[in-house]
Amino acid sequence: MTGGAQRRAAAGRRPVELEVALWRAVAVYRVLALAYAAALIAKNSGGYARPLGGWAVLAVMAAWTAWATFAFADPRRRGRPLLAADLAVAMGCLLATAWVESPEGIAAGRPTLPVSWVAAAVLSWAVRGGKRLGLTAAAVLGVGDLLIHVLAGTAGGLEDRTFNGIVLLLMAGLVVGHVVKLARDAEARLARAVELEAATRERERLARRIHDSVLQVLAMVKRRGGELGGEAAELGRLAGEQEAALRALIGASPSAAGTGRPDEEPGRRDEQTDLRPLLTAHSAATVTVSTPATPVPLDAHAAHEIEAAVAAALDNVRRHGGDGVRAWVLVEDGDDEVVVSVRDDGPGIPEGRLEQAAADGRLGVAQSIRGRVRDLGGTVAIVTAPGEGTEIEMTVPRAPDRRRRS
Amino acid sequence: MSDVPPPVPPGAFSDVPSEEGDGAPRPLRVMVVDDHPMWRDAVARDLAEAGHEVVATAGEGRTAVRVAAAARPDVAVVDLQLPDISGVEVTRHLAAADPPVRVLVLSASGEQQDVLEAVKAGATGYLLKSAAREEFLDAVRRTGAGDAVFTPGLAGLVLGEYRRLASAARRADDDAPRLTERETEVLRLVAKGLTYKQIAQRLVLSHRTVQNHVQNTLGKLQLHNRVELVRYAIEKGLDRDD
Repeated sequence: MTGGAQRRAAAGRRPVELEVALWRAVAVYRVLALAYAAALIAKNSGGYARPLGGWAVLAVMAAWTAWATFAFADPRRRGRPLLAADLAVAMGCLLATAWVESPEGIAAGRPTLPVSWVAAAVLSWAVRGGKRLGLTAAAVLGVGDLLIHVLAGTAGGLEDRTFNGIVLLLMAGLVVGHVVKLARDAEARLARAVELEAATRERERLARRIHDSVLQVLAMVKRRGGELGGEAAELGRLAGEQEAALRALIGASPSAAGTGRPDEEPGRRDEQTDLRPLLTAHSAATVTVSTPATPVPLDAHAAHEIEAAVAAALDNVRRHGGDGVRAWVLVEDGDDEVVVSVRDDGPGIPEGRLEQAAADGRLGVAQSIRGRVRDLGGTVAIVTAPGEGTEIEMTVPRAPDRRRRS
Repeated sequence: MSDVPPPVPPGAFSDVPSEEGDGAPRPLRVMVVDDHPMWRDAVARDLAEAGHEVVATAGEGRTAVRVAAAARPDVAVVDLQLPDISGVEVTRHLAAADPPVRVLVLSASGEQQDVLEAVKAGATGYLLKSAAREEFLDAVRRTGAGDAVFTPGLAGLVLGEYRRLASAARRADDDAPRLTERETEVLRLVAKGLTYKQIAQRLVLSHRTVQNHVQNTLGKLQLHNRVELVRYAIEKGLDRDD
């Protein structure tokens, strides 16, 4: 339940945040541009054909700025009517230049009354509909810029500055529209990722419960089968094997490996491999793997070499110990070294056998384990006696720069 | 113990548990907490057949905590996966009860972090559900006698936890519970699958001493955990009544 709720919340909330931020930015721009326009009108009003008209246009712009800031903040009002009105007001204020400003002023290339304030409409359109709408609004206002000269009868003396203004408007529409699209896509991707993560977590939670139930049943079959004997005992043995295999699988899953040790430096994680899942994968009905509850990080090469050595040792136990011989693997995580021991309760190796094998040129399992561990800079101790099983203890140092807490 | 002369005055060996050697274990009052009816019944039946009294069963954690107060079991057999509150939480409640209930955790998946948390919360024993019937009954008996019941897996977890605490303490310049050399030695042998008897032989110790070492490792961990909880509560101002 909670997973679903989180997913909905995540999917529903995030885009709104981006949207709100963008509209706020447009509103801020609108106010700043209004202040700039007001300063220019105050400075130039002496030269206007109709100075009062200039102040009237400024009043309209101020009123619209106030209303637009309020209206665009409300998602329900951000429809086409508001966008159309925004552009219309911008256009009106722009064209009013032809009526307020003296023809000489226009011909001399003095700025339009709203100056850059009209770009707010382009931004609104771009934020709302991407680069296509942004360009459309910019084009409409560009036509307005040209119309001023037509209305004032100064079309003959078009200045570069007019064209520069139009190009800047088009660029604003294009760039803002494009960036908004990119940001929206990124946000949608993020929302999807969040959703996926929540779904995965939920699946893992369910899987844990299901695994637990399956393990329960298998363990039960093993237990009852053993008690009933006969054919049931065989079923029980099979169930026991599957139970151990499933438990090993769960222990080896990356999700199980990722938990724990919250105080671990996160930067080291990716170059390092947790040794535990590699070894717990070798659990079986006759093999018990004991590890710390927290990850045992080692560099990947060392971890895999240790795993290979343990696999060789376990294989040897199976081959020479016969059925029913059990083995225990213990992983100990020191600050400077990792110790892995493999012990079995088999018949053990008579004294001198290992040396004999080596002398005969037969590179037994002991040699291969020694070789691997020596290459990692570690040591191997083998303790064995007839009737007491065999214990192989591998000590592998962490590379000096990889020491966990130095 | 075979060389002890037959006439023993009663009470002379009062520190030696009476059930050792005489084959007639004291019947225990046991509570079974498991959400799988199948397991609840099977475990209850095994316990009853072995002569123990199953005083309560519960399929949910909160029920278990409530029922335990009335049923006053000696031992609670607790599954870690429960539908409402976790087995760790149940363990914490039961271990803190007066008189405390001894908790044997019986889990199917053996999620390591959960097992470790349960032990730190006060469980004194842990067993996988795949353990054989005799192994289980022996574990219940030992839990009832106040002994710690370790699997090799649990020994590995506890060893790892002491190492982690020591490292963390060294960095924070803080106190942490430490194992003595002997305790480490014993725990490592448990983790390598040796029985207490084999450990006693190898280290030339008595069975009881091995048992005590193992027990101490748990006791220190649980004590540290309680101290940490209290310290946390004081830091957060949870000890004040306002």
